[in-house]
Amino acid sequence: MTNHFEDYVNSDYFLIIGANPAEAHPMAMRHIGKAKAKGAKIIVVDPRFTKTAAHADIYVPLRPGTDIPFLYGLINYAIQNDLYQHEYVLNYTNASYLISPDYSFADGVFSGLEEKDGKLSYNNKSWSYQTDGEDIQKDPTLQDPQCVWQIMKKHVSRYDIKTVSNVTGTPEDTLKKAYALYCKSGKPEVSGNLIYVLGITQHSYGSQNTRATCMVQLLLGNVGLPGGGLNPQRGQSNVQGACDMGMLWNNVTGYLKVPDATKHATYEEYLKAETPKTGYWSNTPKFMTSTLKAWYGEKATKENGFCYDWLPKTEGKSHSHMDSYAGLEEGEIKGVFCWAENPSVAGPDAYHEVKALEKAEWMVCVDVFENETAAFWKRPGANPADIKTEVFLLPAAHIYEKEGTRTNSSRDVQWRWKSVEPPGQAKSDLWIADRLFKAIRKEYASGGRFTDPIMNLTWNYDKPGQDEPDLEKIAIELNGFKVEDGTVLGTFADLKDDGSTACGVWIYAGYYYIDPKETDPLLKVPATKRHGTEDKTGLAIYPKWTFAWPLNRRIVYNRCSSNPAGQPWNPKRPYIFWDGAKWVTPDVPDFGAKDAKTKEPNPPEKTAQAPFIMTADGQAHFFVPSGLISTSQMKEGPMPEHYEPVESPVKNPISKQQSNPVAKKWKGEFSKLAEVGSKDFPYVATTVHYIEHYQTGVRTRNSPYLVELMPEQFATISPSLAKQLGIKPGDDIIVSSARAEINCKANVLPIVRPLVVNGSPVEIVSLPWSWGFMGLSKGAIGNELTPFVACPNVTVPEYKAFLVNIRKA
Amino acid sequence: MPKGVLVDVSRCIGCRSCQVACKSWNDLPATPTVFSNNWDNPPSLNATNWTRVGYHLIEKGDQLKWRFVKTQCMHCEEPACESACFTHSFVKTESGAVIYKPTELNQDYCVGCRYCMIACPFSVPKFEWDKAFPFVRKCKFCYDRIKEGVEPACVSACLTGCLKFGEKEELLAEAHQRIDSNPNYIKRVYGEKEYGGTSWMYISDVPFEDLGFKTNVSEKSIPSYSWDILKWTPGIFVGWGAILTALYTYNKRRAEVHHEEEMYAPVQDEE
Repeated sequence: MTNHFEDYVNSDYFLIIGANPAEAHPMAMRHIGKAKAKGAKIIVVDPRFTKTAAHADIYVPLRPGTDIPFLYGLINYAIQNDLYQHEYVLNYTNASYLISPDYSFADGVFSGLEEKDGKLSYNNKSWSYQTDGEDIQKDPTLQDPQCVWQIMKKHVSRYDIKTVSNVTGTPEDTLKKAYALYCKSGKPEVSGNLIYVLGITQHSYGSQNTRATCMVQLLLGNVGLPGGGLNPQRGQSNVQGACDMGMLWNNVTGYLKVPDATKHATYEEYLKAETPKTGYWSNTPKFMTSTLKAWYGEKATKENGFCYDWLPKTEGKSHSHMDSYAGLEEGEIKGVFCWAENPSVAGPDAYHEVKALEKAEWMVCVDVFENETAAFWKRPGANPADIKTEVFLLPAAHIYEKEGTRTNSSRDVQWRWKSVEPPGQAKSDLWIADRLFKAIRKEYASGGRFTDPIMNLTWNYDKPGQDEPDLEKIAIELNGFKVEDGTVLGTFADLKDDGSTACGVWIYAGYYYIDPKETDPLLKVPATKRHGTEDKTGLAIYPKWTFAWPLNRRIVYNRCSSNPAGQPWNPKRPYIFWDGAKWVTPDVPDFGAKDAKTKEPNPPEKTAQAPFIMTADGQAHFFVPSGLISTSQMKEGPMPEHYEPVESPVKNPISKQQSNPVAKKWKGEFSKLAEVGSKDFPYVATTVHYIEHYQTGVRTRNSPYLVELMPEQFATISPSLAKQLGIKPGDDIIVSSARAEINCKANVLPIVRPLVVNGSPVEIVSLPWSWGFMGLSKGAIGNELTPFVACPNVTVPEYKAFLVNIRKA
Repeated sequence: MPKGVLVDVSRCIGCRSCQVACKSWNDLPATPTVFSNNWDNPPSLNATNWTRVGYHLIEKGDQLKWRFVKTQCMHCEEPACESACFTHSFVKTESGAVIYKPTELNQDYCVGCRYCMIACPFSVPKFEWDKAFPFVRKCKFCYDRIKEGVEPACVSACLTGCLKFGEKEELLAEAHQRIDSNPNYIKRVYGEKEYGGTSWMYISDVPFEDLGFKTNVSEKSIPSYSWDILKWTPGIFVGWGAILTALYTYNKRRAEVHHEEEMYAPVQDEE
């Protein structure tokens, strides 16, 4: 999140879209509630009338998968009615930048779509800025037809309220009311907070959905200031930490790119390809070199490219969760580690994913309970005698049974202490990883192919007299230190590219640092262990409560909380401002507040040039240009465009391009999809969560109190659909998709209602996915129905919009 | 000073942490449930469920409202259960909690007559039907916690500030302040006067009738109804005695006079 949970209290308006914090992030509702008590207005956009919607001032129903039309309608409304923040748009975004005359867009397709071997992809060359040498061409009057502003204005003009209503199924007057209310946050002194989660991301164009949310917030000047921001509340309590630690297949730690042998054969080539000349990522060599020093210690030298050659590299192919299961299916992958994961319940098209598991020779599961993945060989309908996979189940300690950090959506890296001993043979994940690596190294000690990376990896975490690895040693390695004397670093600004510093996760630099100037003995501890509750400004900023990455910064892009002249947009909530000689703020500036060499403060005119330091051009992007290093290139276009979900009940009412032309699809077992407007599967389904059951339910379905509250799997349908199908509440029903069918209870409530799309009603089915065949509460696996298609940028599956049918069991 | 809890229905998100916290603190077992179309299992208060959040989905035209209302013992100022119990098993303590002495103070008076269950206007006390030596069970306002100055378990688990524990009089003032300063609230503090007042009080932005509350209720406590009649007992006892004594005296005298008259009356000659 750009902001943090405590900051919600500063919000004047909330736009909650594709998120249901009352069930999925209840603690967020505490902060939303505080703002509401102070008069904040709340808009909830969701296919269902949720418990969150119950607290909204305006509830906006919409058809699953039509977030872009809703958000584009909002952008168009703000532009047509002149409700956006002019000065912000002109100075802090690329609105005035000129785009290549080769760029074009027609009937749902951007320029550069090419077909190769039957697969579509974009050549994004025409999505670039116009340049004169190194200089990007601009038009500060925003009149040039090739400037981003004019291109965007034209692009969104097709999304008028009538068109939007026809696609989303939302009544026109509800749209008008919601747009008018949220556009009030376009006033400079007013903050609007946009909260989204998986309802936005889990689509075959999920990344473009998130882009659309960014565009709304930039247009209304809501990024970088208290009470504003883009706040994607993370789906699990430490998923932020997992991503920071490089658990994504395409990143090593700290969001540095995983080396790709087809692009970066040598370290030199890696640095050249991944280091932009401008923006903060220009420091990539310092971060990556320090990472390699943390991993390979003394062995990593300038001469040997800091052992870059030892790193495993991809070969231009994707290795996402879905690709891995396709790899299992094709026999390419022989063994599986399922660590704190339960794909038999969580994976898309789980029915076929679990079948693919049968092809594995071995599988290791690490979890607190025997989950559905560990037990896949004895699942209902399977014959254990036919399954040759050797399964190992390692009992893991639960969160309260081990020590370490957890990083939440606010980017707070919080230290947690152990409260109880793990039961039986259960061990912490760290202990398991430690023993696993030592066992692997033992095997390699007697020789093998390419033993260097294994034998030389830094692994010095033992603590005499202690069974568990030494957490402090690991923490300091992650935090970063000076190689010569082990001095713990306070900031990543001190990292070097010459091998004199080591740092496991550059964005965590400082999290284990003890402030030498601190006088309070309770706070003179590593930053992550602090519990200081002082809020000097009353803006809900607690700088001494734990550590927020990066650099203990609580609101990122915070230069944007002031106007170009350095004066706060809202004088009542001054967050960072220029007092005539220096910058004043309770937070850590997210811009070049001081000159790197002279250490003199940089004046407002200069800092306003690059308020978004992580982009190479220093600006936020309405239009994502090609040709900028370290700026994520969108695979399906420089701006979002509405496509129908891959499985849709209607033809795309906006253009002839039915679905995302470059959406990821697979062959064979994973290719089963319903056709557009299918008569066999006429209803739109979306997967949902309830507060009683967390994720795949491994923990909650084993908790008697929670099972008592929510005992059985069900699907929610509208009273009209129930009447049409002769279904009564509590009836046993069968929900089917092109992949599989499941049995569950019928839940009939008006929280879902048919929406009129293209003149015809579309019924919506809301399907929880937290059940499985293990645990105290057993139920059908909702994800057996979901399609195996994904967003091309990040390979997130399309869980949130697909087609099903329903009949009485 | 008597304690209370203010429940602000407009702040509840239906997370039911209070329900779980109650069971956890009081060591109550989970009971088997089946699918509920309303999602608000378990279906009612019983001997092992002392509190329950009811879900109220209110459809008015095409508009929906959804509110989540915690129910438990209201801890009446003048409890009907206490007055109905001839063994004095219930007592309203100074803390505000209405407790059941057999379980809380280990004083076993209860004979299992269950008059308390009939007397309670909120149908709160529940009987352990499945036990050989049953007790009556209900929310005890975490008497074991509040007497130590700690908030009840349910309040400690509330995320949104829907439940607030404190001095009853202060909470009542705050309740009025909240409903007076925000036009969305219904202008009523439920529990201020209902059945003579209760330690748990509710404010809401949705009419109480729509949330399952009994609204057309007396402001008099249940015990006061019996008091209205029973208060004459001494008078009747003394008065009736006096009347009977007077009647007795009168009759006795009358009989005596009659006897004398009979005795001394001249005998009439037969004609």
